[in-house]
Amino acid sequence: MRTHGAGRVQFTRVWKKFRYGEVHNRLRDLIPAMLRQAIGQRPSPNALWEGEFWALRDVSFELGPGQALGIIGPNGAGKSTILRLLTRILRPTRGSCSARGRIGALIEVAAGFHPDLTGRENIYLQGAIMGMGQREITQKFDEIVAFSGVEWFLDTPVKRYSSGMHARLGFSIAAHFDPDVLIVDEVLSVGDAAFQRKAFARVTELVQRAIPVIVVSHQLDAIAAFCTEAMLLEAGSVVQRGTPLDCIAAYMQRSERVPASASGSAIALERLAIEPTDSAASGEDVTVSLHCSLRPDQPLGSEGVGVRLRSVESGLVMFETTTFHLHETLPNAGAFSVAWDLQLNVHPGMYVVEGFVWNNMSGREVGSALTAYVRVTGRGEFSGPVQMNPRIRVASALAST
Amino acid sequence: MVTRENTMVPLASPDAQASPDVEGEVRRKISADLTEHFRDLWAYRELLLQFTRRDISVRYKQAAIGVAWAVLTPLVVVLSGWVLRLAFGRISGEMPNDQMMAGVAVKSLGWAFFVGAMGFGTASITGHLALITKTYFPRAILPIASVLTQLVDAAIAIVAVAIALPFFGVGFSLGFLWIAPIAVLLLLFTTAVTLAASCANVFFRDARHLVQIVLTFGIFFTPVFFDASAFGHTGSRIAMLNPLAPLLEGLRLAVVQGHNLARPLVDDTGLLIWTPLYLVYSAVWAFVGLLVTMAYFHRAEFDFAEYV
Repeated sequence: MRTHGAGRVQFTRVWKKFRYGEVHNRLRDLIPAMLRQAIGQRPSPNALWEGEFWALRDVSFELGPGQALGIIGPNGAGKSTILRLLTRILRPTRGSCSARGRIGALIEVAAGFHPDLTGRENIYLQGAIMGMGQREITQKFDEIVAFSGVEWFLDTPVKRYSSGMHARLGFSIAAHFDPDVLIVDEVLSVGDAAFQRKAFARVTELVQRAIPVIVVSHQLDAIAAFCTEAMLLEAGSVVQRGTPLDCIAAYMQRSERVPASASGSAIALERLAIEPTDSAASGEDVTVSLHCSLRPDQPLGSEGVGVRLRSVESGLVMFETTTFHLHETLPNAGAFSVAWDLQLNVHPGMYVVEGFVWNNMSGREVGSALTAYVRVTGRGEFSGPVQMNPRIRVASALAST
Repeated sequence: MVTRENTMVPLASPDAQASPDVEGEVRRKISADLTEHFRDLWAYRELLLQFTRRDISVRYKQAAIGVAWAVLTPLVVVLSGWVLRLAFGRISGEMPNDQMMAGVAVKSLGWAFFVGAMGFGTASITGHLALITKTYFPRAILPIASVLTQLVDAAIAIVAVAIALPFFGVGFSLGFLWIAPIAVLLLLFTTAVTLAASCANVFFRDARHLVQIVLTFGIFFTPVFFDASAFGHTGSRIAMLNPLAPLLEGLRLAVVQGHNLARPLVDDTGLLIWTPLYLVYSAVWAFVGLLVTMAYFHRAEFDFAEYV
């Protein structure tokens, strides 16, 4: 067993420039470009030229042993670019990035497979691409094969594999590499449900080795489960960093928000509180209270307030209600608070509670919401998304004596 | 109790002309690039073996005549050379002798190796799109593996030629000792050219047309089917400017005529056929060419994923 603890990741003010559209040059274009360079008209790498854009702007972070960073954000935010810079596929335009130690990347785990080679040959090939020596692979060969579950097809060319077998074999090879730095990118959805559980357990095991870990995933529950900190990216910039739950909540809101109306809202949200605690058993009651005040210069109009419960796991809204749904009218002036008693009849897990202002005329949310979290715990008395508060009776059909 | 308000940094719009405020680019030293590149290649030496093994086994899988291809391709080159020599012999009235035929065979082997490596190697990077954009390893491994694969083919063909040579009256001589240094120079030069071609092909897709021209017509500008000395006093020197020419001519003189390449060779008419300077010239091309391409390749390889 190798000793860990040497791994370290450093990203210092990294900028990365890409180009839109076609980038294939022709030899013909080379000569004018070389001439321009010769007479000192070198395009400055700091400026954007036609057809270029910044894929990353000034991103910095540092990770040491035991730290796990989750990177979230919409498609095209720059998440994969960060991973490709870390794995040395790309070099930054500006700034510096470095990773010390062996990097284990659970990304594109089957990229090196050659379709005409057998599973056995591909294990050696893919292993070598990841940086494993032949002896190391031979040592772990049986483990890799057993984990992937493709024993019977080891001497079959992988072009005859099903896509699931292909991905499972790739994951197994990558997961048996002993990294100093671990990078995980959307590989937790490989294979069937049984394999996914196994893969999740394996990644958990790797993460717990106290090495720096970077996770990119749209499965937000994975981020919440693995990471000690998180970063929300949008259009190449870091828009939020902090605890995974804070970033997840910010991401969910940003991804759904419609542009706020120009006039702003008449109601100012001040505080969102969950009582008695932010942790409750499934089926129990909590009280969500929203403290608000009316802005003096604006009429209340058709505005009200609402509360929403969203699953961190899936991002889905589980429950939403407003003062309009419940036919409540709000006071016309001053400060007020609204309290909802909610029965948490949901599956155990993390939930984001959002308090927001709702305009009933335009049918949209206005202003920015307040968020809090509630952890729903369970005793394992049910599975499925809804808590139905089961009560059970067993009666014997035989007459009792 | 958890209570908090979102604090968000205002989002810069994608077309905002934001720029990094970092000082100017640091000029990298060629020697630093070179040592880094060799260090990387050494660290990934097992991968080089895996890729070579893969290329060999893929080439002969699902192939009707398998390993016979390694002999067939150079054989076709040799036969075309013989046809050409016979045709010229008819015109000039001086039919080619066994030594000439053996010379064509020996030089054809070297040429077939060069052409094969360059042909496979040029597309080796563009042909591995998924690997280049998704994983890291020193990219030079791909073209070098193409060259090594070709080397295995060449070894098979060498055995075939070695068996045939005695039938042309060529026996063992001390000149055979020159085979090894010439083979090394040919290997280095071929590697340099293949690295340059594969790299150029990433950025300029018309590079492969240029390569195609070299592969198809290069044989007319390289003394393979003919000998450089056929051009007379000045002509042979011009022909020898092609860095491959001294290697192929040297191979022929050493193997077929048993000539010691450390000594010059002048024929009965006073025509200079060989001087050791020719070999030095090719060696400079091979070593300097390889070092320069290795350094520039390393500079360019981090752009491959964006341009491939």
